[in-house]
Amino acid sequence: MTTAAHDDEPQTEEQPRKKRFGSGSAPLLPEAGAAGAPLTAVIAIMSFLAVLAMASLLMVNRAASEWTSALRSEITVQVKGASPTEIDASVTEALRVLNDTEGVVEATVRSREDTTKLLEPWLGEGNAEVFLNIPAIIEVKADPTLRDNLDLLRNRLVAAAPGATIDDHTRWHDRLSGAARSGQAMALSIFMLVMGAACAISVFAARAGLAANHEIISVLHLVGATDNFIAAEVQRRFFILGLRGAVIGLVVALTALAFLALGMSARMGTDAFVPAFSLGGWVILWLVIAPIATCLVTAITARMTVLKTLAKQY
Amino acid sequence: MDTGKEIVRFENAGLSYEGAPETLSDVSMSLSEGEFRFLTGPSGAGKTSLLKMIYLAHRPTRGHFSLFGEDAMEAPREALPALRRRIGVVFQEFRLLDHLTAFENVALPMKVAGVNQNHYREDVSELLNWVGLGHRMDAKPPTLSGGEKQRVALARALVSKPDLILADEPTGNVDPAMGERIMKLFVELNKLGAAVIVATHDLHLVQSIGKPVLRINEGGVSRSAGIGGAS
Repeated sequence: MTTAAHDDEPQTEEQPRKKRFGSGSAPLLPEAGAAGAPLTAVIAIMSFLAVLAMASLLMVNRAASEWTSALRSEITVQVKGASPTEIDASVTEALRVLNDTEGVVEATVRSREDTTKLLEPWLGEGNAEVFLNIPAIIEVKADPTLRDNLDLLRNRLVAAAPGATIDDHTRWHDRLSGAARSGQAMALSIFMLVMGAACAISVFAARAGLAANHEIISVLHLVGATDNFIAAEVQRRFFILGLRGAVIGLVVALTALAFLALGMSARMGTDAFVPAFSLGGWVILWLVIAPIATCLVTAITARMTVLKTLAKQY
Repeated sequence: MDTGKEIVRFENAGLSYEGAPETLSDVSMSLSEGEFRFLTGPSGAGKTSLLKMIYLAHRPTRGHFSLFGEDAMEAPREALPALRRRIGVVFQEFRLLDHLTAFENVALPMKVAGVNQNHYREDVSELLNWVGLGHRMDAKPPTLSGGEKQRVALARALVSKPDLILADEPTGNVDPAMGERIMKLFVELNKLGAAVIVATHDLHLVQSIGKPVLRINEGGVSRSAGIGGAS
C-alpha cells in the first residue's frame, strides 16, 4: 500500500493511542469543556433551590399534620360559675359526665394556679384571682369517635354542669389548616418556578449549543442522521451535565439542611410549636426527587428544543 | 453499467440563496443507476451548488427534482435521512469532525444509521488501510495533512456502499498517483453498480478516465461527450 508521502503541510503529531472499540465510543458532539461548566453550575444552583423548596414543603406538611392531629385529638371544656365553690361542684359533675362518655381517653383538670398563670400576661401578676372568678379548664384527650358525638356530649354536660362549654378547636384547626395550605402552595410554587427556570436555561443552552455546533450538526444530517438521533445526542449531553450539577446541588443542600436540623433540634427541643426538621428515611428520598426532576427537566427540554429548532431547517 | 433506471432527475430546476439571484437556472439533467459523469465548468459556475442539491443540503427553489424515484421537492423532512444514506459525498472542504478520530469519522455514516460497531469495524479499517491511513486511525483531523483529510473523507463517503457517489474535486489535495488511484476506485465502484458524479476542473483527469461530461456554464447544465474517451 502506497501512501501520499508528499501531501501538503503534513502534520505528523500523533495522537495518544486510545481504545478504539471501547464500550463508550466517542460522543458525536464535542465535549462541552469549559462551556459545560457554567451550565453545570447553574443546574447545581437550581437543584439546590429545588431541594430547599422540597424541604420547605415537607416541613410545612409535617408541621400542619402535627398541629391538626394535636387539635383534633383534644377538646377543652370550660366551666364557669358564680363562685369558686360552684365552679368546683360543676367541675366534679363535668368530670363524671366526661369519664362516662365513650371516646374520652383522659380528662384532666388544669389547676387553678396554672389557669391563673395563663392570664397573668394580660392581667398582671396576682390580679386574676382578685378580680375574676376564673373558669376551670378541663383538657380532654379524645379519640376520633368523640367528634362525631360532640352535640350529645355538649347537651349532657350542660344538663349536669350548667356553666360548662365545649371548645372543639375547630376555629384554630381551620386557621392552622389554611396557614399550612398557604405554606404548601408557596413551597410548591417555588419548586415549580425552579423547574421553570431550569427549562428556560436548558432551552437557551440547547440553542446556543446548536449554533456553536452548527457545522457538526450539518455533517451529521448529510451523512444520514435523523433529527431524533441528533436530539438524543444532545439529550445525553445535557443529562450528563445535569446529573453532575444535580449531585453537587443535592450534596450542598443536604449539608445545609443537616446544619439546619441540628440547629433546630438544639434550640427548640421537642416542645416547639414548629416541629424540628430531620433528615431521616423518607425525607431523604423526597429530597432526592428534586435534583432528579431538575436533571430530567433539563435533558428533556434540551431534546425538545433541538427537535423544534431542527424542524425549522431544511 | 447503466441499468436505465433514473436515480437523479432535474427539470427546469433553479436554486437561489435567500432571495438572491439564482445561482443555478433551468437545470435539466438526469442520472441513471450505474452511470458515471464528470461535472466540469469554470470556478463559481455552480458545480458545488448542483451537488448540494443532489445530496439534499439545499432543495431547488423552483422546478422539479426527484431522487431515487422520490419527489425530493415535496419529500417530508423525515424522509430525507433515508435518501441521504444512499449517497456518499466527498466534500471539497472535507467536512471532517475535528473531535473524532479518523476511524470515527469514517465510521460516522454507519453509526448514525444505527449499525452495530462489530459489523463495520473491519470495513472501516480496511478502507483506511486502502487509502494509506492504516497507521493514523486514531489521529484527529487537525493533526492530518490536507491529503490525509481528503482520503479520510473519501473513506467516509464509501463506507456505507452508497448507490450514488458524489465527489467535489476529490483529487484536489492529493498527489497525482493517489489521484489516479482514487479515480480508478470510483470507476471500480461504478462497475459494481454505484452511480458516480465527480466535479472537477482537472481536464487531464477527465481525459484519462474517458467518461461523459456534464458542463456547467453560467448557471446552466449542458451535456457533452467524454473528452478523449468513450462514454
